[in-house]
Amino acid sequence: MEPTYHQTLDVKGAKCPMPLVKSRKAIGELPVGHILRVIATDRGSVADFQGWVKAAKNVELVAQETTAESGQELYVHYLRRTA
Amino acid sequence: MTLAEVQTSAPALSAIALYQSLLRHDAPFILDVRNPDDFARWRIEGRAGLVVENVPYYDFIEDEEAATARIPAGRAVLVVCAKEGSSQYVAELLRERGIEASYLEGGILSWGNLYDRRDIVRAPWGRIIQIARPARGDVSFVIASDGAAAVIDPLRHTAPYRVAMAEAGARLTHIFDTHVHADHISGGPALSHESGAPYFVHPYDAIHPIDMLPATIAYTPLDDGQVFRIGQVELRAIWYPGHTLGQVNFLAVAPDGSRYLFTGDGIFLRSFGRPDLGGKGEAWTPLLYESMTRRLPPHLTDETVILPAHFSTLDEADAAGRVGATWGVVRRNNESLAHLASAEAFSTFVLGNLPEFPPQYVEIKRVNIGLRNPTEAEAEELELGKNVCALAQ
Repeated sequence: MEPTYHQTLDVKGAKCPMPLVKSRKAIGELPVGHILRVIATDRGSVADFQGWVKAAKNVELVAQETTAESGQELYVHYLRRTA
Repeated sequence: MTLAEVQTSAPALSAIALYQSLLRHDAPFILDVRNPDDFARWRIEGRAGLVVENVPYYDFIEDEEAATARIPAGRAVLVVCAKEGSSQYVAELLRERGIEASYLEGGILSWGNLYDRRDIVRAPWGRIIQIARPARGDVSFVIASDGAAAVIDPLRHTAPYRVAMAEAGARLTHIFDTHVHADHISGGPALSHESGAPYFVHPYDAIHPIDMLPATIAYTPLDDGQVFRIGQVELRAIWYPGHTLGQVNFLAVAPDGSRYLFTGDGIFLRSFGRPDLGGKGEAWTPLLYESMTRRLPPHLTDETVILPAHFSTLDEADAAGRVGATWGVVRRNNESLAHLASAEAFSTFVLGNLPEFPPQYVEIKRVNIGLRNPTEAEAEELELGKNVCALAQ
């Protein structure tokens, strides 16, 4: 079940640290309470986003899922701005 | 959509350059910016006293000031991440703050896959070449003499052996594993397939000790006492059960009388091989005791050079990166050998000092006798981190 979201950030092809750097920036531009959907191809982003939200002051990880698009794994993160 | 990759002016340090500085014990402060779970699973280790700190790269993104404050002032910093990108990013941030920062080229992945080659001995009769994978504490050997070569305990990637033999002008004639390994995937079957040279293991190790299933790989069974000739070098198999049922040690005797014991996971420089990785620790400990007190000693002189298949800490390597010492030195300095007075005392000591049993070791033994055929990614995952083949120190 796909969570609802307000905006999508496509970081397919971007390597670490770029998915997280761009997500941080995009979250900061979102109204409080809104959810950002991030679509990444970097597998390391799964564990890194989990670690990041523990350190971050105003980000909550709502859900993560793995899907596939034309044979490529996609790692999708749903992030809520909390403050 | 184009995404800018990290731009950095920070210098790169190669894995081999890092290894040289770890051996010299003059490495910079190592800042590992991976997430804490990955850091906990494995990290760069060096000689005692090496300082490695974990500050995830996203801490720098969240609060650069606070993250930077965790780095000791006035020291050069080597930033390390999984592949490279985040370490370039953090190194650049640090350089903008006037800190002398570099990054590890290729990330910890390239450190994990580094193979280091150096001579143990180079003599008129031939050479013994050590090929190690320092991140794993895995060590293997090539004996080259009169154009013939034997490989002992080869690691998964076969190219370093081909390079070493080509450089020594020797053709592969024998491939030996001292035992079927649990911590790493052997390069033996692949080398045999590439070269046509026979792959030798003891038949007792060709049965998976937990699955009780026979090997499907092609191998030639070894016998206790069997003697091989590699050019001018005589190589004798000495059955040494305990770490596995079919472990052997190989004693090489050169024409000048020098002796080298390829002990596998027999005697380590600071410990010895644990007897529980086949799931039969209590039953195999008395066998290990017999091997250590009766089977092996008649073959040892104080001048025999002990060459094990692992180290647990880089302090076991000398300044030149060689992991070996004479038996005279090992029997004096290896404190774990002080527990051989009686079989009972030995069992108490051994069974009380078993480190954790890495669950993937059962699977790696399956791979090594052909019961599983992992993909490259699966093989890399199975081999992550440092070996745990020794008794706790």
